[in-house]
Amino acid sequence: MPDKMEKINGHLETLALKVVTLEEGDIPGMGQILNTICSLETDCEGMDESVFLLVVQAVKGYLERLILSEAEDTTPLEEGISCLQSIYRSLSRDEEFQQDVSFILKKLGSEDILNETDESQTGSRAEHEFTAGDKMPGLDKKLTDEDIQILREFVTESLENLASIEVKLIYLEESPDDLETINDIFRPFHTIKGISSYLNLDKINSLSHSAESLLDKARDGEIKIDEMIIDIILESVDTLKKMVIEIKEGLEEGVSLYSGIDITSLVDRIEELNNRSEKVMDKPLGEILVQKGFLHQDVMGDILEEQKLDPDKKIGEILVTKGAAGSKDVISALRDQRKFGRKDIDLQVRVDTKKLDTLVDMTGELVIAHSMLKRNDQILSTKDQSLYKIINQISQITSTLQQTSMSMRMVPIKSTFQKMVRVVRDLAKNSGKKVGLKMQGEDTEIDRNMVDELYEPMVHMIRNAVDHGIEMPDEREKAGKDPRGVIELCAYHRGGNIVIEIKDDGRGLHKKRILEKARSKNLLDGKSHLTDSEIFNLVLQPGFSTAKEVTGISGRGVGMDVVKKAVEKLRGRIEITSKPEQQGSIFTIRMPLTLAIIEGILCRVGQERYVIPSLAIIESFLPREDQYFTVEGKEEMILSRDEVIPLIRLGRIFGVNGDAMDPWNGLVVTVEHDGEKRCLLLDEILGKEEVVIKSLGESLKETKGIAGGAIMGDGRVGLILDIPGVIEIAKGN
Amino acid sequence: VNANKKILVVDDSSLMRNFAKGSLKQLKLNNVDEAENGEEALLKLKKKRYDLILSDLHMPNMNGLELLKAVRSDSNLKDIPFIIMTLHGKKDLLLEAVKEGLNDYLLKPVTAGSLGQKLKKVFS
Repeated sequence: MPDKMEKINGHLETLALKVVTLEEGDIPGMGQILNTICSLETDCEGMDESVFLLVVQAVKGYLERLILSEAEDTTPLEEGISCLQSIYRSLSRDEEFQQDVSFILKKLGSEDILNETDESQTGSRAEHEFTAGDKMPGLDKKLTDEDIQILREFVTESLENLASIEVKLIYLEESPDDLETINDIFRPFHTIKGISSYLNLDKINSLSHSAESLLDKARDGEIKIDEMIIDIILESVDTLKKMVIEIKEGLEEGVSLYSGIDITSLVDRIEELNNRSEKVMDKPLGEILVQKGFLHQDVMGDILEEQKLDPDKKIGEILVTKGAAGSKDVISALRDQRKFGRKDIDLQVRVDTKKLDTLVDMTGELVIAHSMLKRNDQILSTKDQSLYKIINQISQITSTLQQTSMSMRMVPIKSTFQKMVRVVRDLAKNSGKKVGLKMQGEDTEIDRNMVDELYEPMVHMIRNAVDHGIEMPDEREKAGKDPRGVIELCAYHRGGNIVIEIKDDGRGLHKKRILEKARSKNLLDGKSHLTDSEIFNLVLQPGFSTAKEVTGISGRGVGMDVVKKAVEKLRGRIEITSKPEQQGSIFTIRMPLTLAIIEGILCRVGQERYVIPSLAIIESFLPREDQYFTVEGKEEMILSRDEVIPLIRLGRIFGVNGDAMDPWNGLVVTVEHDGEKRCLLLDEILGKEEVVIKSLGESLKETKGIAGGAIMGDGRVGLILDIPGVIEIAKGN
Repeated sequence: VNANKKILVVDDSSLMRNFAKGSLKQLKLNNVDEAENGEEALLKLKKKRYDLILSDLHMPNMNGLELLKAVRSDSNLKDIPFIIMTLHGKKDLLLEAVKEGLNDYLLKPVTAGSLGQKLKKVFS
């Protein structure tokens, strides 16, 4: 039943990735996961391994409880899926699964008991003695069940809102002019203000109102965001948080602690900032005029007074009507103001990505047509100089066109990086660790199509770094480090690749423990001596979950192999390095800049040319006769580095006559896919090339073993090999 | 939430519809139509474009789950957010609805607070 196994594996991979990004209360997301689990359940019916089905059902049951809000923690779900993955791996290796699943089953089922008690609590909730009516000065009426319900919701929502404000404030500090960020901060304040007024929570209402109106002015451009404003907004957030938490505690204990906090001085200070608004706005224009010597400082003061009386009038207008400055001077000062105040923004147009893809495709066609023209016999033999000139000119235009059309699909990686701010924050909060996030190279560009695919693996790696890398604050202090850990995201271009680094300054990876664990899980293949990087990269092997055994922190289960697979889907590679003496580790992802280009080795078999993707290649060599083995002329093998690897004759697979009948007359390239190695026999390696991938069109799309066509520098077409496909064809033969 | 959003409230009990409408009103959402069951709702959905369906689960003449399935399989309607209002203890039908692409659910009686939270999530 290999088909069935493959299906099950597919479901498991989907689950592992989806679960990582699942957020509390994400009903549609949970619906998708539930569907996958249901198909998984159907697909594994009748399977020998009953443990698998048992865990699948437990996971399903737990997910249902999550959906029904009977459980909140998603961790058991992840652990269940990770457990399924390891059962699956044992199954696919025909080994018996020997680990005890009772622990995980209990974790997935234990919520049953909790749930029962929870329900009994719900029952008693109504009877809760809420004589709080008189204890809560903010609420003049007696609390009904509905009020309590609404208050509870207010508490959760407000805390969420306040948290989101804090994150946005970091952006605001970096780009104080960004209207969208100001809006994002304004909105939650507005919500809190609205609900608190409905609930008669006077102090919360008045503080959020003040903060809101300050932001409103900033939004209208009346005041400029500066450090003072950011600080006071932060202070407001903190105070609001305190007050909301008091309500929360009051609800839980039935005792009110509300309004013990004095907010008058804070509100006053906000009002002060609110009032200074006009001055701040007009200062620059006045300053410029004074600096330029068009205007005397004292005159400017008078003008400002004047403007206060008539706030609708623009300062420039007053200056000119008063004759204090010439209109020319004012305009030139205004221009200067604009120059200094705003960065140059390139004009932009939104374009459908489909149109862009067509443009890239058509440019590709143009390149082909052009090279054909260049190599045309008549043109080659012509003596006409002007024709040469024109063709050279077209060459230049075509290559510029190609570069431009490629660059149009590129977007800065910033948005993906920024999503990580929230991820780090939440993780740090949940784990009780202190973690900061630094970013570098956010403007590095990446293919639009890759951005979304990158999100999940990055979340996964960051989570890994916080969970396993960064230590608890006291532990860090003992080690002489800053109690606050730092995760650094870097992006840059190198050699046609985009490189993304995720660095942490945590404890790093423990070589010895990784080796021990890998040995116990039989991941070493009997190899005795491993380099450091080989050891670290063991973490990415399927079956190696970096859970508690390595770091001592409770692991989240889903293995890093999922990340590796996701990155490989983008034709990328992932590498791990760890600095000695607990100075942290670095995860590096290297990916091609765009999915439209592939790096490969161009090789020849007979008259045909093929491109083998570099990612799949391990090595190439000229085999000696004594390295070749065969069983009855059928199963051909090559002995390489003490390993016997099956040989695939590329020519035979594609029905092409190669030059080399005996492997020792040809050349062998060792490739790997999903842990399986194969030697490909070919005639010659022509070089390393970066080629533009072209689809083969509808009719040839399904061709097995070929991933697409590639246009070579000389305009000829080569076929890009699909290694998994090639291995499969060889198996079929 | 944008006050212009057009919302269809589906419930066989007029009291429950009023609860929902009252909460929507508190959220400044006045563009609300009502239907008594799934059949009536589908007719209305075909005549007018709604931004949200807020439906009961148990109803005669096409229940909430059947309505959801009909909406999700209609290429014109399938993207309309769908929130179910339900009482405790209708777990099986609700889980079935989640599998069919439900956006969210609310426990009855609907309050402005809980509804507002869900709407914010759905429209964000």
